[in-house]
Amino acid sequence: MPSILLTVFILQLVIHVVNTLGASTINNVLWNLYINFASPKSAADQRELKSQFMRVRKEMNSTSSQDEFARWAKLRRQHDKLLEQLEKSKASSDAGKSAFETTASTLRWVCTNGLRMYIQYSYMKQPMFWVPRGWVPYYAEWLLSFPRAPLGSVSVNVWVLACTAVITLAHETLVAVAALVGKSGFTQKKGVPIRVGGEKTQAAGGAKSKKVS
Amino acid sequence: MSTAVINADDDQLEPTLQSILDQKTLRWIFVGGKGGVGKTTTSCSLAIQLAKVRRSVLLISTDPAHNLSDAFSQKFGKEARLINGFTNLSAMEIDPNGSIQELMGQADEGEGPVAGMGGMVQDLAFAIPGIDEAMSFAEVLKQVKSMSYETIIFDTAPTGHTLRFLQFPSVLEKALAKVSQLSTQFGPMLNGILGANGTLPNGANLNEMMEKLEGLRETISEVNTQFKDENLTTFICVCIPEFLSLYETERMIQELASYGIDTHCIVVNQLLFPKPGSDCEQCNARRKMQKKYLEQIEELYDEFNVVKMPLLVEEVRGKERLEKFSEMLITPYVPPAGGL
Repeated sequence: MPSILLTVFILQLVIHVVNTLGASTINNVLWNLYINFASPKSAADQRELKSQFMRVRKEMNSTSSQDEFARWAKLRRQHDKLLEQLEKSKASSDAGKSAFETTASTLRWVCTNGLRMYIQYSYMKQPMFWVPRGWVPYYAEWLLSFPRAPLGSVSVNVWVLACTAVITLAHETLVAVAALVGKSGFTQKKGVPIRVGGEKTQAAGGAKSKKVS
Repeated sequence: MSTAVINADDDQLEPTLQSILDQKTLRWIFVGGKGGVGKTTTSCSLAIQLAKVRRSVLLISTDPAHNLSDAFSQKFGKEARLINGFTNLSAMEIDPNGSIQELMGQADEGEGPVAGMGGMVQDLAFAIPGIDEAMSFAEVLKQVKSMSYETIIFDTAPTGHTLRFLQFPSVLEKALAKVSQLSTQFGPMLNGILGANGTLPNGANLNEMMEKLEGLRETISEVNTQFKDENLTTFICVCIPEFLSLYETERMIQELASYGIDTHCIVVNQLLFPKPGSDCEQCNARRKMQKKYLEQIEELYDEFNVVKMPLLVEEVRGKERLEKFSEMLITPYVPPAGGL
């Protein structure tokens, strides 16, 4: 059993990463991994169907319906059939995706926020660590042990808040440093024609560093 | 036989409607196609040929622009009437559009399929899209069933209309299933409000009305099953060898296939066969164009009986001319030798 202090910190880090990246991005990545590894056959089938459909469609559009009616009509029958198949497979994969997303979201919530709540609840009365006596005045001690940890200790809830604050600060610092580095890198290359990418980093960095200050 | 065939190909089905005559189980035959391609002429001719080999044949026109009267130079109405000069061939004309008012009128007088429905519910029932046509259709079919004709030929309205018409049984079935379901769900509640005998404010009885709707639904679903049985029902497509007509025919065949209605005959009408040495510029040019599309038809519909009918120099009207024309449905027309 790893230390509860470390566990809470890592948990808060994971929650922060998830919130920064966005739930839908993570869901999409997971879904792509899932269909490519769990059922690579159906994904390949769908790609194949799609390319076949595009090919038939292109061929149909390049065939004159007036000059070669029979060929055109046959292509059209094929086209309609493929379109129907494609729609059906798309609908079924969409249904699968939404089911997958629901499951993934639930699991994610249980593993992050759910776990955090569980920890906060079950370690509510336990001290995380003791603050040396006399370091902080009484009311601060009371606050640190809020809500139910023994007086003079730091409670799990306060520890969670502290972790969150540190992670947020670290994140913002990192972003600011990255922006600063990007900016200085840009000023060094003044003689070089402006690149769109460089400019973009600068703009983004500027905006972010402003937010930090 | 092979000399009589215009394009003698071994792998092609015979270019006649003989298969229809031979298929004794056929009860419903639909004839359809774009407007002006000769649906009425074809259906009349087919009816004449069928009358020779069947006990009794009924020809029904569902086209709002009724042409049966013109074709046979005899007035037909809503009741089946024997065609002059025949003993087992009758005809009738129904208007699928105009009968809604009639149905309403009938209902007010206490007859017809919707009689006994209260005014409000009647309005509600008639708000179901397509119900008017489907109802008149069902009514006609009920009549026809009781009349014991061996074969019934429908001369349908131009393409779009036909397809809608054939779709109605499914549409109505769905709508009525919904209504019935609602009535079973809310019926007890309504009855609670209305009293034990379930009388509606305007004197109609809820249960009775639902029974009537249910009966109608059953009739229609039975008709639907019959239409989807290839032993009982077939659809004959009539077209002319021109792009739009062909396009519509292809569309119609695909749509019929999606409804599960059998179709294996195509009548290509109005073919031009200029005499050898003819210096009619238009005729020769048209023959060339028609030839192009004929080849396409044969390539595309190799599993169909493709019947080729020539364009005559006279209008095909009256019993004698129709009889002569109908011969060509069974014995293929031989174009003048040496022509284009």
